[in-house]
Amino acid sequence: MTSTPLLMPQLGNEITEAEVTEWLKQPGDTVEKDELVVIITTTKMSMELEAPAAGKLGEILVPEGELAEVGAALTMIESR
Amino acid sequence: MPKQLVIEPEHMRRKGEIKFASIPVHSYDRAFSEERAARGDAALKNILRHMMIVREFETMLGTFKATGAYRDIPFTYKGPAHLSIGQEGAAVGAALALAPNDHIFGSHRSHGEFIAKSLAAIDQLDPASLEAIMAEHEDGRLRDGTAAHIGGEGKALAENFMLFGLLSEIFMRSNGFNGGMGGSMHAFFPPFGAYPNNAIVGGSAGIATGAALRKKLARENGICVANAGDGSTGCGPVWEAMNFASMAQFNALWDESRKGGLPVLFFFSNNFYAMGGQTIGETMGWERLSRIGAAINADSMHAETIDGTNPLAVADAVARKKALLLEGRGPALLDVECYRSAGHSTTDANVYRSRDELKAWEAFDPIVRFQTQLVEDGVMTEGDVLEMREIVGRTIEAVTRAAVDPEAAPIVNVEGDPTLIGKLMFTHNDIAPPSSPVPLIKQPEDVAAFRQLKRKSRFGLDADGNILSGMRAITLRDGLTESILHHMTLDESLVAYGEECREWGGAFGVYRGLSEILPYHRLFNSPISEAAIVATAVGHALEGGRSLVELMYGDFIGRAGDEIFNQMAKWHAMSGGMLNVPVVLRCSVGSKYGAQHSQDWSSLIAHIPGLKVIYPATPYDAKGLMASALSSNDPVVFFESQRLYDTVEKFQPEGVPEDYYRIPIGEPDIKRSGNDLTILTIGPSLYPALAAAEALDKSAGLSVEVIDARSLVPFNYDKVLESVKKTGFLLIVSEASERGSFAMTLSSNVSRFAFGDLKAAPRVLGSPNWIVPGAEMESTYFPQVADIIDVVTGEFFPEKKTPAQGSRNWDARDLARMAL
Repeated sequence: MTSTPLLMPQLGNEITEAEVTEWLKQPGDTVEKDELVVIITTTKMSMELEAPAAGKLGEILVPEGELAEVGAALTMIESR
Repeated sequence: MPKQLVIEPEHMRRKGEIKFASIPVHSYDRAFSEERAARGDAALKNILRHMMIVREFETMLGTFKATGAYRDIPFTYKGPAHLSIGQEGAAVGAALALAPNDHIFGSHRSHGEFIAKSLAAIDQLDPASLEAIMAEHEDGRLRDGTAAHIGGEGKALAENFMLFGLLSEIFMRSNGFNGGMGGSMHAFFPPFGAYPNNAIVGGSAGIATGAALRKKLARENGICVANAGDGSTGCGPVWEAMNFASMAQFNALWDESRKGGLPVLFFFSNNFYAMGGQTIGETMGWERLSRIGAAINADSMHAETIDGTNPLAVADAVARKKALLLEGRGPALLDVECYRSAGHSTTDANVYRSRDELKAWEAFDPIVRFQTQLVEDGVMTEGDVLEMREIVGRTIEAVTRAAVDPEAAPIVNVEGDPTLIGKLMFTHNDIAPPSSPVPLIKQPEDVAAFRQLKRKSRFGLDADGNILSGMRAITLRDGLTESILHHMTLDESLVAYGEECREWGGAFGVYRGLSEILPYHRLFNSPISEAAIVATAVGHALEGGRSLVELMYGDFIGRAGDEIFNQMAKWHAMSGGMLNVPVVLRCSVGSKYGAQHSQDWSSLIAHIPGLKVIYPATPYDAKGLMASALSSNDPVVFFESQRLYDTVEKFQPEGVPEDYYRIPIGEPDIKRSGNDLTILTIGPSLYPALAAAEALDKSAGLSVEVIDARSLVPFNYDKVLESVKKTGFLLIVSEASERGSFAMTLSSNVSRFAFGDLKAAPRVLGSPNWIVPGAEMESTYFPQVADIIDVVTGEFFPEKKTPAQGSRNWDARDLARMAL
């Protein structure tokens, strides 16, 4: 069993935080690697984040509408 | 970049060949007897009469230019006379197939098209409509003048009204259709469907395309015709317009209500010469103009080469193209061959063509051929033809006599009212706040991007005075978005487009979320065609819409130079106030991207009469000024600094209001009060100026007032003059290159207006007159805090002088000698 975090990416030199806009998957859902999991929004654009590994989605660490710093874990993907 | 359109590698990589839709050449072969049976003799005679009117009108102009007299009327006509003698069949034939609500846009050689279109409209309009048109124009003054000095009843009066309004305009008289502000190359009269002629070769291509866009969006009947010459096919903007009119999205992505290509006909009067350059065989690659249709789309633009010397062949082709356009199958292209037997202008010595060639084409004079046909087939006798020519001659003579008479056609009284022309530059009026909800795909509250705005703080500082990030407080970008959202959702006449405007939300995210609520026909991606973006925006506005378009970088202004400088800026004044140009052109000003992506060209725009120019630096100002720009009935160029998009509001303690508000264009704003020195800033220079003011307060005890210009045109000097009265010193900071900049204009004017209050000459601190370097060297280029402090302490307050901190230790006089 391994846990892979889904991290808030660095989306430009000056961006320090971004909003979690919409979770496309819920805790317990099975996801393939590269499947779309969550939409995030910076001051300038929205972007879909993909699952970094196949597995089961863990707890949502940043709810919709809240901000997360670059590098923060948004959820964990549990894989066997 | 819509996701539903997939670029399949398998499809793209398949072997094959491209086939072109064939392009007919001179396919018209209807027997004259058939035309006669279909149209009737009266209509055929009228075709001849209309051609004769065009010929005699232009002959009169040519005669004035050549001899200073026409018949026994002496007159010195100083303006241009680009005659279309030999091309009358094209103009009259096209007009036959057009209705009053079909709109033609012309070239510098379009007297004939104007007259033919107007005569056809007069033929078609009922007497009550004609009377209403004449009564409405200038409160009936031109009609009354026509009746008094030329005469005529019913349609004859309307024809004389039209000829008198046109000739007075050509002679630049106050009773001309455009108040004498348009003249020979620009005259027009919309009620007859004759829209502006254009002195820039191919200038009407983009404008007619934009007008066609408006017809489609407003679901108005009728088509638009871009009249141009063969030489214009060498102009990039003409190609841009043809491609814009053919965009695949009209069929692939737009919903049923607006599906289909734009209803615009590119009508090339091909007289075989681009002034003196010969298009076939010399200056162009094509051997048949119509060939270019194949380059644009799979329909080859329904292109055809037709016989412009035969009005019936032209009418047939235009009618068929019009039917296609009304079915949503536009655009269309006609290559209308019509030899220009007169010179390009009256100074043309025909050095570029042989006598033999001129002689050979004499047999194809449209009037001679048509009248011969009518006589041969017994529609008219030779005597009838002579009588008709006699009557036409008398009409043109009467119109001319009136137009040269200052009592009938008064000279524009600029001497009596020296700012008369200036007062025509702008309407200075606005629409009421928009209030009619328009159909949306979704409501804004259902869109994440707009919900995010609702969660943000309206003020940019927290309770402890710390600056909030752009994720937590409303930014300048958000301010723009809010005003644009308001107008787009409450004013259906407004359309927004540009490169990457839809899914991407504009390259800098100002339209983020809008693609989720607005259908394609309100917000769409344009091709990378800056000339077409601006020209179509102008056409859309001239036709009654409101346009919001974007150039991704201000550096691309050059790509749309003519369209901004000569079209967007000019049509209100050149129409004598008849037309408005409500266009907002957004230009972002870059940084970090070097010489071709980081220039502040606001000065370049401010130099051109006829454009309002805005450059806000705070979210509050950006929102309020964008609302004013979108409400303005004048054209506005709106600059936005990319460095400031994420800037939060630091000045309005209540924050940026959520509700709609406007800030008047042209009013500078005091951002910091002080008594010892005034710094006036343009755009993002506000922030280094404020930082310098803080530093000077601490280090030198100087109290600095900082004024943000906010707008460049118009500009109310009052606040600056009051400030200078108090401080005696003025420093103007801008990121534009100093030479010839708007900051220099401000400096020069303040020197004049407040000479007695100044303790020293105003000083301009701009960017140097060399290329913008890349990000690593940018701080040596745009004025920095240290540069401002160096000027203030080094030049205004030498007693406070400290060792220079900035990098500008150069001698401006030496640099000037070195072309810098």
